[in-house]
Amino acid sequence: MDAVDVSEHYEVTSIDSPPSLLSIVIDTNPRAWAALDSRLSLAQAISNILVFVNAHLAFSNTNQVAVIAAHVNRAVWLYPTAQKPAAAKDNSGDVQMQDVSAETNNSSSPSANKYPQFAQIESSVFSSIQSLMAETTIQDLDQVTTQLSGALTLALCRINKASQALSSSDTTLSNAAPVNSTAPPPVKGRIVVISVSDSEPSQYIPTMNAVFAAAHNQVAIDTIALAGDSTFLQQACFNTNGIFLKASNPQGLLTYLMFGLIPDTEARESIITPTHDTVDFRTACFCHGKVVDTGFVCSVCLSIFCEPPENAECLTCGTVLALGNYGAKPAVVPRKKKKKKKIVNGSGREETGSATGTPKP
Amino acid sequence: MSNNPSLHLAEYLERLPGTTFKKLYQQPSTAFAIFRRMLPHLAKTFVMRMLFMPHPMTLNDLDVWVKPEAKRKKDQSLSILRGLHIVQISAPSKEKPQEIQLMSNFKRSLRLALTGGGNHNSFGVPSSLLIPPEIDLPFLDRYARKKWEDVLHFVVSSVGYKSVGDGSGPNKGVKELLIAGRLVDRRPNGGLGITQAGFTFLLQEANAQVWTLLLLWLDVLGNNKGSGLDPVDMLSFLFMLASLELGRAYDTNALTEERRNMLPSLVDFGLIYIPQHKRSMFFPTRLATTLTSGGNSLRTISEGVTAATQSAQTSQQSLGPLGGGGGEQQAGSVVIETNYRLYAYTQSALQIAVLALFAKLNMRFPDMVAGRLSRASIRQAINFGITADQIISYLAAHAHEQMHRTAALTNKPVLPPTVVDQIRLWQLENERMKTTSGFLFRDFTDDKDYLDTARFSEEIGVLVWRNDHARMFFANKHEQIKDFLKTRKRAE
Repeated sequence: MDAVDVSEHYEVTSIDSPPSLLSIVIDTNPRAWAALDSRLSLAQAISNILVFVNAHLAFSNTNQVAVIAAHVNRAVWLYPTAQKPAAAKDNSGDVQMQDVSAETNNSSSPSANKYPQFAQIESSVFSSIQSLMAETTIQDLDQVTTQLSGALTLALCRINKASQALSSSDTTLSNAAPVNSTAPPPVKGRIVVISVSDSEPSQYIPTMNAVFAAAHNQVAIDTIALAGDSTFLQQACFNTNGIFLKASNPQGLLTYLMFGLIPDTEARESIITPTHDTVDFRTACFCHGKVVDTGFVCSVCLSIFCEPPENAECLTCGTVLALGNYGAKPAVVPRKKKKKKKIVNGSGREETGSATGTPKP
Repeated sequence: MSNNPSLHLAEYLERLPGTTFKKLYQQPSTAFAIFRRMLPHLAKTFVMRMLFMPHPMTLNDLDVWVKPEAKRKKDQSLSILRGLHIVQISAPSKEKPQEIQLMSNFKRSLRLALTGGGNHNSFGVPSSLLIPPEIDLPFLDRYARKKWEDVLHFVVSSVGYKSVGDGSGPNKGVKELLIAGRLVDRRPNGGLGITQAGFTFLLQEANAQVWTLLLLWLDVLGNNKGSGLDPVDMLSFLFMLASLELGRAYDTNALTEERRNMLPSLVDFGLIYIPQHKRSMFFPTRLATTLTSGGNSLRTISEGVTAATQSAQTSQQSLGPLGGGGGEQQAGSVVIETNYRLYAYTQSALQIAVLALFAKLNMRFPDMVAGRLSRASIRQAINFGITADQIISYLAAHAHEQMHRTAALTNKPVLPPTVVDQIRLWQLENERMKTTSGFLFRDFTDDKDYLDTARFSEEIGVLVWRNDHARMFFANKHEQIKDFLKTRKRAE
């Protein structure tokens, strides 16, 4: 009789895990890849990345993938390719894009030895990266850094769009119910950056804006740095609880990807992720875009400068700042011999002048 | 001949011997489908991490991968991986630590599936013939839905609720199969009556229903030696179907003779479509291509949008009943409130009939029915042989989008806990015992022996009850405990 425990509560939650959306940002800086070519060519890297993409899609057929190239002067979609909007009857971009890529794929005869979706992504990525390289001019090559912030923003937009499509066109609910910030987002978003070049200091602010937006949306940014000094990406990973991997042997890209970056945000709840113990927290100054260790900060808008601005006027907000006696050698005053303070009223508490404590709000 | 054919894929696969798995994993598409469908998330992560490892790794290293608080999850994942013969763990010995590695067959096939290449043709050979213009996605969806509704109507109409379905009922072969699988019973008076298994079947979500029927079919054909069909090959074929692309035509001539012989039955179930005048091509329908998606995963973005636009189109073309087991019905239509009121946005006679099994429906509108759950209605359902768990899982599987959204926003369970508890309490009024079939372990030689074994069974999640004082415990599966005891004995 008492074996039946009716006090137990049975809770029914939705069992299926939310779909996971992976956006891969590939740094396609031609100079950096040329420097890396002896150890890992771009073509090899892309095919490794494609295996990783397939592995992610294999987890569940609700999982989605987007591949974006961060090029020297712009960010380009590699998959899904945004081609001319075909005469489709619905207005949602996602479906159209997939339709288009399906159609283009129909022309070439698909192989029976490959999962159709994988083949689609492969052909799309290869063709768009070829056209991207063909469009690159000699002037573009002067740039040694990459437009990373644009690619991050594109990836975030896609994740946001997907999660909105999932939580669907219902505004009344979100108005009525207070949005619980601890509630899991309807889609697990994740951005993986494959970085080969240095961080561009002039991109500090846009990059950080993207990073904070990602952190707000619970999107993790993971980075695998094959070469270069990616200061900002370290901070990005740190801020969004992502993984930062510094690949000392770029040849083993696939192993880095499959081992370090395969667990998505759900698996990370139970798996110990590789960590990077030192994070480069340096920032870029607002005046010259130099990465600085110590700088000057406007007391009003918190802008950072590498040297005191002209006329002591903040370049961002225009506040006139007083520098005090910066740079003056501090005068060394010999310390007075202190007399031991006698405790007068028995308590070590400092006299505040009022008998009652500070009132609590 | 097993008397109770397993209704779930996991149970079915568990019973297969290791050699069968070896054969199954020859095909990349099968390895891929089993990976996708059968494994928990953590296990998938393990497999992916080990996939490109050249050497076996020690079990201790695996322990280092997971956080201490997730140990239980890890052990369950490992036990599933072993059960499906995906990993191989070396026997413990004194000189060498235990090592774990992927089965070579599985490893090779999954690698091939991910990287492409090889010459296995396991992802279907597309037909080179011209596709008839009238066959598009909405057409295939309508077709699959019609076929599947016929099956469900047949089962549900045996309860006595005469549904007003327009269908002529499923084929004779399908009817025979349903009877052979004891989803419906022939009654002495010549009529048909639904069994408890039938109710379980009805209350499942569509994906599980399809698998139930397919497994019944495999069982029946497997027992019939004269048919010349190999259940392993058939299962492998089903997994291949799941990896095909919706809306594309495939070549029947590229299939083996046995597989071609399976096609007519699959047409009866609505899994594939063969055009009347072009017998050499077949189209997989949504029922087939979503075989490997678990649970409610039809609520995906792209498919959700497609389904929405398609249902809008179909309702313009014909005001046919929506839902009833086809693709789009998955979106869910049932809202249940804390005051036991129930609203279902459906016009499907089938779904209404199912709801009427356990709810008192009192209003019907053009696109919605309303009613409430009461003690009487639940008791009536229990008398039919439906269990509270079935009702609750039906409600959860068919919960309206809005219920999921509210649940996600407020971080609460999908169904109101008061209602869920009450349904169970109503059931408990009658039955105060719950039976679990399993095995009692007792008469351990010493306390340590007992404690170790009990802890092991708890870790792999098979422990049902234990009494430390009497040194007894009860588990619902014994194979791995047996192995555990054996290795213990050997180590001593």
